[in-house]
Amino acid sequence: MDERSVGGDMGGKEDAKMLENTVKQFIEYVRKQVEEQDPVFLISVVVALAAIIITCVFLKYFLTSKTVRSAVLLVGLCDSGKTLLFSRLVSGKFKRTQTSITDSSAPYKAKSDKGTTWTLIDLPGHDSLRAQYLEKFKSAARAIVFVVDSAIFQKEVRDVAEFLYVLLTDSVICRNTPTLLVACNKQDITMAKSAKLIQQQLEKEFVFLGKKGKDFEFSQLPMRVEFLECSALSNKAEEGEADIKSLEKSLAKL
Amino acid sequence: MLDFFTIFSKGGIVLWCFQGAGVKESFTGPVNALIRSVILQERSGSNSFTHERQSLKYKLDNEFELIFVVGFQNILTLTYVDKFIDDVQLRFRDRYKNELVQKGALMLLNNSFEFEDDFQRILREAEESSRTRSTTYMRAFQESEKSKKTVKSMIETKGGDKGKEQGGKKSKSSKKEPPAPEPAKVEKPSPPGQKTLQNGNQGLTQEEIIQKKREEFIRKHTAGPTEKPSGQRNKQTKVFPVFDCLCMPGFSFYANKHLVCLPPPPPPPPKKGGGGGGCGWVKGWVGSKSLSQEDMEPVLEKMKEHLIAKNVAAEIASQLCDSVAKKLEGKVMGTFTTVASTVKQALQDSLVQILQPKRRVDILRDVMEAQSQRRPFVITFCGVNGVGKSTNLAKISYWLIENGFTVLIAACDTFRAGAVEQLRTHQRRLNALHPPEKHGGQPVVQLYEKGYGKDAAGIAMEAIAYARNQAFDVVLVDTAGRMQDNAPLMTALAKLIAVNMPDLVLFVGEALVGNEAVDQLVKFNQALADHSMSEKPRLIDGIVLTKFDTIDDKVGAAISMTYITGQPIVFVGTGQTYNDLRSLNARAVVGALMKA
Repeated sequence: MDERSVGGDMGGKEDAKMLENTVKQFIEYVRKQVEEQDPVFLISVVVALAAIIITCVFLKYFLTSKTVRSAVLLVGLCDSGKTLLFSRLVSGKFKRTQTSITDSSAPYKAKSDKGTTWTLIDLPGHDSLRAQYLEKFKSAARAIVFVVDSAIFQKEVRDVAEFLYVLLTDSVICRNTPTLLVACNKQDITMAKSAKLIQQQLEKEFVFLGKKGKDFEFSQLPMRVEFLECSALSNKAEEGEADIKSLEKSLAKL
Repeated sequence: MLDFFTIFSKGGIVLWCFQGAGVKESFTGPVNALIRSVILQERSGSNSFTHERQSLKYKLDNEFELIFVVGFQNILTLTYVDKFIDDVQLRFRDRYKNELVQKGALMLLNNSFEFEDDFQRILREAEESSRTRSTTYMRAFQESEKSKKTVKSMIETKGGDKGKEQGGKKSKSSKKEPPAPEPAKVEKPSPPGQKTLQNGNQGLTQEEIIQKKREEFIRKHTAGPTEKPSGQRNKQTKVFPVFDCLCMPGFSFYANKHLVCLPPPPPPPPKKGGGGGGCGWVKGWVGSKSLSQEDMEPVLEKMKEHLIAKNVAAEIASQLCDSVAKKLEGKVMGTFTTVASTVKQALQDSLVQILQPKRRVDILRDVMEAQSQRRPFVITFCGVNGVGKSTNLAKISYWLIENGFTVLIAACDTFRAGAVEQLRTHQRRLNALHPPEKHGGQPVVQLYEKGYGKDAAGIAMEAIAYARNQAFDVVLVDTAGRMQDNAPLMTALAKLIAVNMPDLVLFVGEALVGNEAVDQLVKFNQALADHSMSEKPRLIDGIVLTKFDTIDDKVGAAISMTYITGQPIVFVGTGQTYNDLRSLNARAVVGALMKA
């Protein structure tokens, strides 16, 4: 503007003046519009904009909070001892159990320094219910405790392997890679197999299921897999502490 | 008298249990068997179950997700048990309402439920009431109804009606002279729910008969929907509305000469679901409304008819709907859910659960296992005529060959003309598709046949021995089609299976079959169980559902067959070429079933 006013061109000066005028007129016009307008209208526009912004913020908050995984699932075949293990972990008590037909969930405080609280969920093991409950809870799983009946493992080895295989090849689980703890339960029975033996047997079965022909090892998997032994029922049946220390330690490491 | 009583949650934690004096065995086994056979297989329509020598009765509490089970010896007939369970359930709910409302496994684990005293008290009351009820005295003659009739009314004349009321039968009546005390007896209301046609019209005049019928008609239409007898079996409560029309007064039976103008039907009774003014429907929307039998009844009826229209067998559909009703009774609905949506969702879940296999189905793995034990894996195909046994046998052998196994086909159909030649043609084609040069010089498929007219069981035994010697991996035994009512043929089939002990007995059924499926499967299983010598007879292990491409979405046969046997559908045949073999996708089938 200064250069133009300094420039001695008559036409340029006129142009500059016209531009200034139009801009000034525009500003006047806007100011008049704003003043003339009903204040209620202005306020409503401001409120609507604020509501939209707040909704966007909330949505983002809720959507992200869904992906926080804080559940520990107890899965396994029927009669492997999941419900009793659930009872022991949550309350330390012994309770008689029957075949579960729905899931049970309770908060569980890990025995670590941080003392994080997980939601422990006990899923039914029966074949006809397994799939739908797994579908429901797999996306929220931070860790999966796969309970195995160590005493009758030899007879059930193919069923155990198939369930574990289905679990490991599930797309959601492959994506989230929760920690897998294979709990070899019922160690109080004398015929119970050790965790190492169960691991070897399962690796051999996986060779058949994978149909790749190569040897399989659990260390090849992207998620952390740990085999441990436990016994939900102690030697003195109802009273007495259950031997779940190793399970508690592993859960504390999550 | 009772062996045991338990109260446990649906999540599996036992809240309280009682074991009868002198009973040593744990009840965990029988109760688990109850859960697996009845509740998980959607047979909760009737509430009792027999396991070995014990009889178990149960009740589901869907509001707090509890199950009450009582067990007693089979030989005892305890009449008080049904009412007893109801009383115990009510008492338990009342006493622990505060704790149960909290809902959650933590509550169940932390509380101990001291129910012993209440239980013993209710048991004592129930036992006493049953004892007092059993002493009924016979009526004296003066108290009976017969003494009130006149002699004349009981006289039978030729072509006339009898002097007593006949329940449910329609027969022509003729008019007689009315004695005076007649109307008193005739106005006694008929027992509810039965299609009684009051033939006790002896001697009323035409007009009086018409008047009486009119009153009956009005009564039926005002009281009709609620007159369902509770104690009767489900089949009998299906009172066909057509029959009611035929029994209506004014039709030609009783009044041929008079044109009867029926009174206009009375206005329908006010709906009692609303519950007081306008707030009723709001309560239905906001939640905290618990489902009752009346709420679910219309929806379930509609669903049952929908299922039957989709080719599910009629009695299976009705048993399924009863089971879903039992599962939902008393359940509290969530916010903004309607009764129809809750019932539909529950039915869908039950159907998916039925179609999920109850055991691992992996034939290839089992064949590998048999391979490692150096014995052939024997599969037997049975079914009625014309369902596609031989075609699907060829498809399955193609599948096995593709997976690298060698197959021996045993032609045990020694009856049908051309059966052996058909299998030979299949064998040649399969060998052409997979020539022996590529598989180490040995042909992948071989046929073991001994012509026509020989004993099928003998051929099967020889075929298995041959397979063992020649190290074949799988033996597929083709049998002749037979009708389930044909006793000698069923015996022959049972003998074949009992003698040869196959690893897998597959029943081949076509998807087009409707109510017949139930009959076929029940009779086949019965025959196999009856003619087997061993304690644990080999029954049908799996189902092959054929001709699936011919039905569009009328896929109900899958449900009927799995429900009746409890066995999984192993293969689905979807066409007539070698590639048309699939496995069942439970969700897709249920989706097609529930689609409007």
